[in-house]
Amino acid sequence: MMIELKDINKTYPGVVPLHVLKGINLDIERGELVSIMGASGSGKSTLLNIIGILDTYDTGSYVLDGTMIRDLSENRAAELRNRLIGFVFQSFNLINYKNALENVALPLFYQGVSRRKRNALAMEQLDRMGLADRAHHLPSEMSGGQKQRVAIARALITNPSIILADEPTGALDSQTSKEVMTVFRELNAAGMTIVIVTHDPGVGAQTNRIIRISDGVIISGGND
Amino acid sequence: MIDLLHEIAQTLSHNKLRTVLTGMAVAWGIFMLIVLLGASRGVYNGFTSRADLETSSSLSVWGGYTTKPYSGYREGRPVQLKDSDKAVIKNSGKQYVRNVVATRVLDSARVSTERDYISNGLYGHFPQEQKRAKLDMIYGRFLNDRDLEERRKVMVLESKNARLLFGDESKAVGGRVDAFGLSWLVVGVYFHEWESGTYIPFTTAMVVTGNDGNVSELFVNIKNVHTEADGTAAEQSVRKALAGSHEFAVEDNGAVHIWNRFNSYLRNIQANDILSTAVWIIGLLTMLSGIVGVSNIMFVSVRERTHEIGIRRAIGAKPRSILLQIVAESVAITTIFGYVGVVFGTAVTVVMSKLTENVDFLENPTVDLSTALNVTVVLVVAGALAGLFPAIKATWVRPVEALRYE
Repeated sequence: MMIELKDINKTYPGVVPLHVLKGINLDIERGELVSIMGASGSGKSTLLNIIGILDTYDTGSYVLDGTMIRDLSENRAAELRNRLIGFVFQSFNLINYKNALENVALPLFYQGVSRRKRNALAMEQLDRMGLADRAHHLPSEMSGGQKQRVAIARALITNPSIILADEPTGALDSQTSKEVMTVFRELNAAGMTIVIVTHDPGVGAQTNRIIRISDGVIISGGND
Repeated sequence: MIDLLHEIAQTLSHNKLRTVLTGMAVAWGIFMLIVLLGASRGVYNGFTSRADLETSSSLSVWGGYTTKPYSGYREGRPVQLKDSDKAVIKNSGKQYVRNVVATRVLDSARVSTERDYISNGLYGHFPQEQKRAKLDMIYGRFLNDRDLEERRKVMVLESKNARLLFGDESKAVGGRVDAFGLSWLVVGVYFHEWESGTYIPFTTAMVVTGNDGNVSELFVNIKNVHTEADGTAAEQSVRKALAGSHEFAVEDNGAVHIWNRFNSYLRNIQANDILSTAVWIIGLLTMLSGIVGVSNIMFVSVRERTHEIGIRRAIGAKPRSILLQIVAESVAITTIFGYVGVVFGTAVTVVMSKLTENVDFLENPTVDLSTALNVTVVLVVAGALAGLFPAIKATWVRPVEALRYE
């Protein structure tokens, strides 16, 4: 089991406390390609944050690739994100003054890998994405599809347990969306576990399982 | 380390204009600090070149008028110092007194040659005077011990006077001048910025004035003095000895005037220390405004880069590495631009040094290596402090910021 969520509850405190996740139970197997779909405000972003160790949950338990994710220090959380999760974001989130190679190599910088070695590994990943010739281009000099492939290369470089993609095609046209989804499918075929959060049914249709979430509960595609 | 420098170089060059403007404030602060330090150093050098401990360990004594009645005498009695007072002082205070010399000034003595005459006074003096008054011998020699022993009729002229009397100062040595109806041999010509007296041996001066035993001034070279209290004790012992021989009250400060060069020296040293401390404080305060500027801009930078910091945190940056990066950026800005200030400041002190070559109270107004090292330490510490609070703020950025889109 790659992801094991048991009875996850999350409430945002406030004058009117907001109970956004109401007992989520979700298992995702190793090698799955799943999508989480739901309207905005359904709680899918919060679920993504929890799965990505970007946010904490109140009650329940979350085990990611055999590691219990609970009451982590900032340092430990950063370490686990770095090692276990590869993020792909809607707006690519590349650092605009770093070239493609440097962006891809950045997670290894935080692992303390030497410059020479991480640049070699980054080049390998870019090559895999068919972007070897773009290695020294800045993000502003690349198309949306290229940028997203650079972001995927960055997500892959630490050899993570899962790829977590947040609306990966949200900023792309339909043609490039297809290309990016093809990349995800190929990665999945090679054994990578991928979770895509989206509200695009076309994207959802290309995954092997669609988990629908509404009003803080899973309404379909969850554990039976 | 190289990676960190690379990261810093990238982020700083990404925002060139802002980096430069911020750096200017720091450069200006350091520039002022260096120039001020150079100037205060110049004052210090000017002082030490004029006075060192050896020549400053002395007391100058002049006769005055008593201000208190004493042992049957009324106040207002003049005290005339005598040649015999040398022995009195020497015998009274062996602990402090190294030796005593006397001088005899002959006012309005006229010195003439066939060409011209001068009448600005003759100084009956000792060979040591050359060193004490820092007379620069340009021709011939100064007075020596044999001149005094043999009461020779020899003279040392100041260069302008020598030119007046002989037409050219180079012709003066070996020439003869007339004074007191006697013929004198010129043995040397000196140069000094303001001193213009003519020197003759003290013993000869005593003879030409009729051996009345009167002296104008006593120089007491003192020893075993380390603190101002020692200096005052030495001064008191001299006063006490003279009070005995001239019969005035020891506490009567008007009877003899004593210039305690040693205590003046100590006070000057103290004043220089205070000056240099004040300069450091002023310089650091000037720099503080630059540092506040850096801190301010780092806050802005952190705010602007919230999203970027969020991305870095999401892909595995620990709070510590974010903190380190921001602090390092701040240190880099202050150090790089600080050194720009150091370079310009040093250049200005060098120019200042050239322009003030003939100004007596300033000498070599430049900073030395140890000051430069101190400034480096100040820069690094200041940069780290300036970056610390923005950096702490940066560590509060949550990784979930990466998912916030504008």
